Amino acid sequence: MSEEKAGMNVRDWSETLALGAIVAVFAALSPEFLGARNLSMLAIELSITAILALGMLLVMLPGQIDLSAGSGVGLIGGVAAVLVTRFNWPAPAAMLAAAVLAILIWNTMGRLIVSQRMPSFIITLGGLLVFKGLFWLVIQNATVPVSPAGAENLFARLTTTYLPPPLGWALAAAVAAVLLGGWARRARRAKATGAPYDSETGFLKAFLGAQAAALFVAVTNGFRGVPLPAVLLAASAAAVFILTEHTAFGRRLYAIGGNAEAALLAGIDVDKNVIAAFAIMGAAVALTGFMQTAYAGASTTTVGDLMELDAIAACVIGGTSLNGGRGNVRGVLFGALIMATLLNGMTLLAVSPEIKYVTRGLVLALAVWLDTRLSRVAR
Amino acid sequence: MSAPLLEARGVTKRFPGVVALKDVGFDVRAGEVHALCGENGAGKSTLIKLLCGVHPYGSYEGELLVGGERAEFAGVGDAQRAGIAAIAQELACVPALSVAENVRLGDWPTTGALVDWQETRRDAREWLSKLGLDVDPDLPVERLGAGQRQLVEIAKALRKKARVLILDEPTAALAEAEARRLLELVRSLRAEGIAIVYISHRLEEIFEIADRVTVLRDGSTVSTRLASDARREVLIRDMVGRELGALFPRRAPALGPVRLEARRLGAEGGGGVKRLEDVSFSVRAGEVLGIGGLMGAGRTELLKHLFGAWGRRTAGELLLDGRPLPARTPWDALAAGLALVSEDRRRDGLVLEQSVGFNLSLSTVASLMRGGLLDEHEEAVLNERDRAELRIKTPSLAARVGGLSGGNQQKVLFGRARRSAPKVLLLDEPTRGVDVGAKVEIYEVINGLTEKGLAVVLVSSELPELIGMSDRIVMMRSGRVMGEFSRAEATQERLIAAALGHAEAA
Repeated sequence: MSEEKAGMNVRDWSETLALGAIVAVFAALSPEFLGARNLSMLAIELSITAILALGMLLVMLPGQIDLSAGSGVGLIGGVAAVLVTRFNWPAPAAMLAAAVLAILIWNTMGRLIVSQRMPSFIITLGGLLVFKGLFWLVIQNATVPVSPAGAENLFARLTTTYLPPPLGWALAAAVAAVLLGGWARRARRAKATGAPYDSETGFLKAFLGAQAAALFVAVTNGFRGVPLPAVLLAASAAAVFILTEHTAFGRRLYAIGGNAEAALLAGIDVDKNVIAAFAIMGAAVALTGFMQTAYAGASTTTVGDLMELDAIAACVIGGTSLNGGRGNVRGVLFGALIMATLLNGMTLLAVSPEIKYVTRGLVLALAVWLDTRLSRVAR
Repeated sequence: MSAPLLEARGVTKRFPGVVALKDVGFDVRAGEVHALCGENGAGKSTLIKLLCGVHPYGSYEGELLVGGERAEFAGVGDAQRAGIAAIAQELACVPALSVAENVRLGDWPTTGALVDWQETRRDAREWLSKLGLDVDPDLPVERLGAGQRQLVEIAKALRKKARVLILDEPTAALAEAEARRLLELVRSLRAEGIAIVYISHRLEEIFEIADRVTVLRDGSTVSTRLASDARREVLIRDMVGRELGALFPRRAPALGPVRLEARRLGAEGGGGVKRLEDVSFSVRAGEVLGIGGLMGAGRTELLKHLFGAWGRRTAGELLLDGRPLPARTPWDALAAGLALVSEDRRRDGLVLEQSVGFNLSLSTVASLMRGGLLDEHEEAVLNERDRAELRIKTPSLAARVGGLSGGNQQKVLFGRARRSAPKVLLLDEPTRGVDVGAKVEIYEVINGLTEKGLAVVLVSSELPELIGMSDRIVMMRSGRVMGEFSRAEATQERLIAAALGHAEAA
């Protein structure tokens, strides 16, 4: 677990520099890039990419992969939209039903992968095609709005809600309290037991985190307030962070990815944990599906296209190993931020779709190449 | 008598922390079968690897001579060009390619830019018929049996004009009839003037076909004799040889009730290839039951089966404290009170990328959960206790376990097994690749555990360790129990005889 190495290492610096360079280029080319309005939109786009990437992290830690996530995003968003618009279900019920469906589907894929000993690459590649087809059947190749004409519902409000500024500040204060409280608790405990804990670095991290939250609230309050997706992302990231770093389940995922045979002989039910990771991925796909569909305003045939690749790219840029056993939430958030920033900046500059694809592909390859180079130097 | 075709003179090979070969001399002449034997770990594999170029020139001291000329192999390719081919235990066939493709692997005849398959097939058929193998050259090698695959390998070697053929336990995986045919082939190759280095645990084979026999022990040549002069007892004594000193501090324990009992267990796994048959034994609280046998005798499979990690039960039953043990999975076994320290710690024991602490608590993380979160404080306390008690030498508990020495890695696995408070501890080669000092520490840990009333099942390939640390010993061969020996009865000669399947040679 990278957490145990205090301070910043080479790869943290390289990531920060890369992001800084990307931001500098866009800021120089477009004055709007660092404006409150665009940063608020970037926050929404980041949230959508990052939540899917967090789910992908849980699948990749035990050495699996999910290529069907993008198609799933379209399908699950489409199912919810159809239930709301064609069958007049209330939005919360429709979203709940679609989310349960997603968890069941991903649970089933997980079961297939472990029981049939088939590579997840193949099962989820099949899923990619099957879900895409089902998606188009469900929406009948049409455009299905997320709310009936003129009406507002929870589904549509997912990406159009902004917290009132005072609530934003309250939230920032709460984040600061949790971070600093956590630091104080650790420091106190370390003092009581004499366990090694770098109290200064710990405080610095907590303090920087609190400042970042405050800065974010200050910026987004300049444009309507903190967007709801950012809150959803913060909650998801906290949940996945706790899951990976502070639960037995997380430990097991790292162990399975690091050495599946050793995990089995240490008494870990490898299959059960892999299935659980896929089921959680189903929940991440559902949440992303609702947000992405709501952001588009309607379910259309292209919703979710290639999102699985953005999620995988975010994980890999953030240092997640394709072989499993390595990766963490902080890295994934960073990777998602790089991917989302690239896309947002290029859209702002009206870069053609062709060039967007080429650029994102090159950045991904460059990031991974740099990572392998730097981790070799570090050894 | 002709000059040696291949000779090693005064060869010493060192690995970090171990001297695998010490000043070894070995030679083989044209038209001769020279057998090489010794216990597991005696240095046979290292010597072969040196002869066939796997350990390149410069990585060892001493010299190799081919036909009287100094040879400096930079790799396997050089050795092959010099006419030396090794047929390894794990064969080097490409399973999905056809017999013909494998015979000419990497050296396919071409017409222009294309492979001439007609010629490949014709050539392969010719070589195979020389060896008496009548199979369709288009058949993929994976469809052949172990014996036929071996012949394909030999054809491949002979086609490259091999003059020295090194056969490493060629009959280990073969049925009786196939083994007979292979021995016939070895004789006819010898008649054609090929020099053959023959490694086998089966002494009867050695007496049947070898001209000379060399015994290695602890990396040194003990003896080289004409096979016609050697007697079985003498060879076994040469292989075993050493005195057991104070290296094994086994203290006689106070025995408690029977903890684990296997009644006529049968199991099969690995696609039905490996099986256990009619295995019965029991181990009491405070007792160390040793399980010995040669490689492939089914000892690891037995331990893994007890732990629910190998094979399907076909017969018999397993009792823990007199009650049937339903454990069919490792997590059931762990919960029931079994713990396993597996054979190859790097391959199936440790998560090498992770920290010492992570690996110590891996089996017991569930018990550290408090209200949905890991109690990392309690974990750190337990880890620190294990580090101190087992004297694990590590920069910190957060250090990568992969960076530790073999002995310390092994102690981490002991710490993990101990943490689950087992009733029965299954140990598979617990001191392999561990230096002498750490070995004694590990033996002391075993003593301490049995004094607390644990039952220990100890699998070891090192006979001195088996005899020195076990209170009782069961010898296995081909998945069956060949005999049980009390501490007083267990001599190395008797155990080896049982492992080789000569109950009478005691």
